[in-house]
Amino acid sequence: MSLLPTAMINKADAAQRRQHSYDEGEITKKRSVCTHCSVGCGVVAEVQNGVWIGQEPSFDHPFNLGSHCAKGASVREHGHGDKRLKYPMKKVAGEWQRISWDQAIDEIGDQMLAIRESAGPDSVYWLGSAKFNNEQAYLFRKFAAFWGSNNVDHQARICHSTTVAGVANTWGFGAMTNSYNDIHNSKCIFIIGANPAEAHPVSLQHILRGKERGGKVIVVDPRFSRTAAHADHYIRIRPGADIPFVWGMIWHMFQNGWEDEQFINQRVYGMDEIRAEVAKWTPDEVERVTGVKEADVFQAAKTMYEHKPGTVVWCMGITQHTVGNSNTRALCILQLVLGNMGVSGGGTNIFRGHDNVQGATDFGVTSNSLPGYYGLSQDAWEHWARVWDVDYNWIASQFDQASYEELNGSPVSPMFTNGITVSRWIDGVLEDPENITQKDILRAMVLWGHAPNSQTRGPEMKAAMEKLDLLVIVDPFPTVSAVMNDRQDNVYLLPAATQFETYGSLTSSNRSVQWREQIMAPLFESLPDHNIIYRFAEKFGFADQLCKHIAVNDGEPLIEDITREYNRGMWACGYTGQTPERLKLQLANLHTFNKTTLKAEGGPCDGEFYGLPWPCWGTAEMKHPGTHILYDTSIPVAEGGSPFRARFGVEREGQNLLAEGSWTAGSEIEDGYPEFTSDMLKELGWWNDLTAEEKAEAEGKNWKTDLSGGIQRVAIKHGCAPYGNAKARAIVWQFPDPVPIHREPLYTPRRDLVAEYPTYEDRRNFYRLPTRYGSIQAQDFSQEFPLIMTSGRLVEYEGGGEETRSNPWLAELQQDMFIEINPADANNAGIRDGRQVWVEGPEGGAVKVMAMVTPRVERGVVFMPFHFGGHYQGEDLKDKYPEGTAPYVRGESCNVVFTYGYDSVTAMQETKVSLCRVRPA
Amino acid sequence: MARMKFLCDAERCIECNACVTACKNEHEVPWGINRRRVVTIDDGIPGEKSISVACMHCTDAPCQAVCPVDCFYTTDDGVVLHDKDICIGCGYCFYACPFGAPQYPQEGAFGARGKMDKCTFCAGGPEPDNSQAELDKYGRNRLAEGKLPLCAEMCSTKALLAGDGDIVADLFRSRVVRRGGRPDTWGWNTAYKD
Amino acid sequence: MMKKIISIVFATFILSACYEDTSVTLHEPGVYKGKRDTQTMPAEEREALLKQRFNQVQTDR
Ligand code: SF4
Ligand code: SF4
Ligand code: SF4
Repeated sequence: MSLLPTAMINKADAAQRRQHSYDEGEITKKRSVCTHCSVGCGVVAEVQNGVWIGQEPSFDHPFNLGSHCAKGASVREHGHGDKRLKYPMKKVAGEWQRISWDQAIDEIGDQMLAIRESAGPDSVYWLGSAKFNNEQAYLFRKFAAFWGSNNVDHQARICHSTTVAGVANTWGFGAMTNSYNDIHNSKCIFIIGANPAEAHPVSLQHILRGKERGGKVIVVDPRFSRTAAHADHYIRIRPGADIPFVWGMIWHMFQNGWEDEQFINQRVYGMDEIRAEVAKWTPDEVERVTGVKEADVFQAAKTMYEHKPGTVVWCMGITQHTVGNSNTRALCILQLVLGNMGVSGGGTNIFRGHDNVQGATDFGVTSNSLPGYYGLSQDAWEHWARVWDVDYNWIASQFDQASYEELNGSPVSPMFTNGITVSRWIDGVLEDPENITQKDILRAMVLWGHAPNSQTRGPEMKAAMEKLDLLVIVDPFPTVSAVMNDRQDNVYLLPAATQFETYGSLTSSNRSVQWREQIMAPLFESLPDHNIIYRFAEKFGFADQLCKHIAVNDGEPLIEDITREYNRGMWACGYTGQTPERLKLQLANLHTFNKTTLKAEGGPCDGEFYGLPWPCWGTAEMKHPGTHILYDTSIPVAEGGSPFRARFGVEREGQNLLAEGSWTAGSEIEDGYPEFTSDMLKELGWWNDLTAEEKAEAEGKNWKTDLSGGIQRVAIKHGCAPYGNAKARAIVWQFPDPVPIHREPLYTPRRDLVAEYPTYEDRRNFYRLPTRYGSIQAQDFSQEFPLIMTSGRLVEYEGGGEETRSNPWLAELQQDMFIEINPADANNAGIRDGRQVWVEGPEGGAVKVMAMVTPRVERGVVFMPFHFGGHYQGEDLKDKYPEGTAPYVRGESCNVVFTYGYDSVTAMQETKVSLCRVRPA
Repeated sequence: MARMKFLCDAERCIECNACVTACKNEHEVPWGINRRRVVTIDDGIPGEKSISVACMHCTDAPCQAVCPVDCFYTTDDGVVLHDKDICIGCGYCFYACPFGAPQYPQEGAFGARGKMDKCTFCAGGPEPDNSQAELDKYGRNRLAEGKLPLCAEMCSTKALLAGDGDIVADLFRSRVVRRGGRPDTWGWNTAYKD
Repeated sequence: MMKKIISIVFATFILSACYEDTSVTLHEPGVYKGKRDTQTMPAEEREALLKQRFNQVQTDR
């Protein structure tokens, strides 16, 4: 009888909760969007007396047709919020004390102002979040600007920053080019370094439909993932050998004449240099470096050639490397070789992570740009000062007035230099102040919607947290930040509301902007992020500047006004047409959108694409439908067509960088052309198409800075793209590796390859910090730490996992942190399935986790999920959480063992290749 | 007359557990009780397949046949339900069930088992439709509202189908025709005789 | 040898089955003794609704 499945007693604290009957009051339906990944699945909530009592499938929704994964199907649990941080708290002499919001803002604000006085504004780090909606993200970046620092960043740095940099520098914008739905039309789906079956489950609905319609699915991954289980062809690759693999495929394409000659001639610059590099990657060398047999590489290349259009999907397996930016460019080049860009069923379908990481990136919650990818140049600041209607000189005066870096021989203000990245904030605390190119080290850290356990070098992070003067955590949950350190004092926890307790827009992976309705009032004493931003601005004395054109009701900046404000400034990536009114109208008419083309067929949104995917050009009056498929020249710009962007000049070394013999349908300029400026309009004789008002504003401006939108309107009227019509570039001459080349990871077990494929040399100043490459790779760790260690996701959890591990419906499904290890390695080390083991890394971190012995990983490779936290080097930290807030499931964070290593362009952290050893505990 | 059936398309199931959490969500099923679960074979090697399993609502249900207090009945829709008021939690139905569907919550200090709980095809139990009593004992009654089981309605890939057996079979057949291969109606031979 | 193993397996099966059978097969399935399940909606009406629902929600579209 004991064999019968009975409930586990020890989990009795997962309380039985009562269901509300339908008779207890009127039920209203609210539409929101799942907050757990970038697919952007629609959620329908049933609300009764302010309580979220039911969740229904949103079957009208174009992205998910009612479907969810485990996370989305459990979002109603947010309505219970048992484990939430319920009120502001402060740690005093090792104990958590409840305090009021007023006290919290006052105390934190006073300390920050004191730090600002003594160490400068750059000593406070504002770490924002992809969990913000667009309005909050925009307001947060503006807030950091008014505080006077570029030390502001968010998770995009550690998920797809290398994609954004690599892809934008190849053809204009750093984003997914097509959409999940468009994969229905793919004849080949090439997935590398991604496990969408777990990380983006509803995308599999679209991928499997593509497959059932005859598309071939190829999965390249070190692990036989759940995605691989659905592949037609699975290829196992050594972690960190992606570029050789891609070059190996292209080698066969060039060898067999499978490249799209015409496409390359018309629309690609620099392919000859790629040919020269690819020629080195003969099948033998590819096998030596990647471990993949020639037959597999050849078959993958042939399948892609024979099944066009094909799409390429990648995620963190590609991006999180020291060569991440090169990895992403190699994949872009693969698509350019095949001519798979700008077509339905093709493109680079880069699956972003968090629900609004695309939006938070677009709105510049990054240390290297203002909203809209304007960068940090003086022009950029002047543009935004005009949009904000504040004095440029006042903003400049908020910054540290000294200079620590030089640009072209003259000193530059920290206002124009990249801030420290989130991946390196710990070095901003721990590094010798002499070596940091700003006034002082970081003294206050604000983790606002961020999981520290998603970042590498755990023990050093602990030390950094302990060294800070002030640690502030703003989040719906205490997060691992509250417990992983041994601070006794001066830690503040401020309860933020989730996106179900507020409203506004978000941008899903495919650039579609969706509107969320508020489901319920903020739980307990939590506040929406924009209220909290406003409170800090009040404390610092710039609330009036911050909300000069934004109504504030009861301490809450009006979301719609924020949307309207960014509509006035986001010209560079086309966030100008998505007004609150248009987005809300789409929300009310979800059922009118075609589930493959995403185009509304009839109804009030007729002709628009769902979510007005950016670029949605011009002012809303222009009624641009948004751009479903980027770089599609077969339709006019006015209907969502676009060429590659002219971003890199018009000529280089005598070669034309503009498109040749290729233009978007209906273009009056039937050739390549540069980006539009007022002068260019005059030369073309189109200046008088502007109204008098537009002329007044547009004079001396360009398509990005003309606040009237006139330049964009006139360009599009003549069938042209405002940003020009150029070639994509296969070589990025400003990058450390203009042609993507293979470089061994810092912690590589293949010492035999280091001499031939070395990493970079150490750098003195990279995002304000010295950065090591060669000096680490020079040491051989592979004898003592023989196993390659890699990491990834589980379907039940998101990111650092605090929110999802606090949800009993999810937590019950994954109760133990584990490590996947091949049976051979397990037997060699005396490890048995289900037993505890110690995993030790070369930088001294160690975690105690459960062994999962499985052939899913090959011999010599181990895998750990990164969502766990709440244990530290063998110890359960449950008692360090404020009472009643410890997540149901806690476990070791794999990032305690993960090591140093940063991408050479964006400082993305390396989490996909390191070394470790495993022994029984 | 409609005859409700579940079908899980193993070619599409990605073991995402949406069906499992949707069920928890809709009925507030407590920790430790799983009306639905996902079973994976050949985990981690080529050929890996997953199937989502719950009570299949069998024809001439074996659970019904062994129940010493006769608490089971089959509705007009072919859904197998039971009356918790007379269930004694003896556990016989668990042994009789080919799918391991019945579950027993731990109750009381001495580990005595509580009343059996299982998938209701989102059709509640023998209390007035959507009354508080039905809600407390069996969860929501979606069929009475003209809706189908939430697990299938929320399945990430539309692998899990729930509805009248004939339309389920039709949809599945057309899918198999499109993609080729053998139609594998997992569990149907065991569960259904009609 | 093979035969012997099979008969042992068989014997164990019988033994355990015997034990189970005493409690299970002696029972004569009777008629449902619980509460009558009243339905607010006639079965035909529900059938039509559910069919419509299936096509709305579970098809690929
Ligand atoms: S996590 Fe992603 S795939 Fe899952 S329901 Fe949410 S948006 Fe959809
Ligand atoms: S699956 Fe099991 S519990 Fe459900 S009807 Fe069949 S025998 Fe009974
Ligand atoms: S929701 Fe669908 S795909 Fe996911 S486990 Fe359940 S049946 Fe499989």
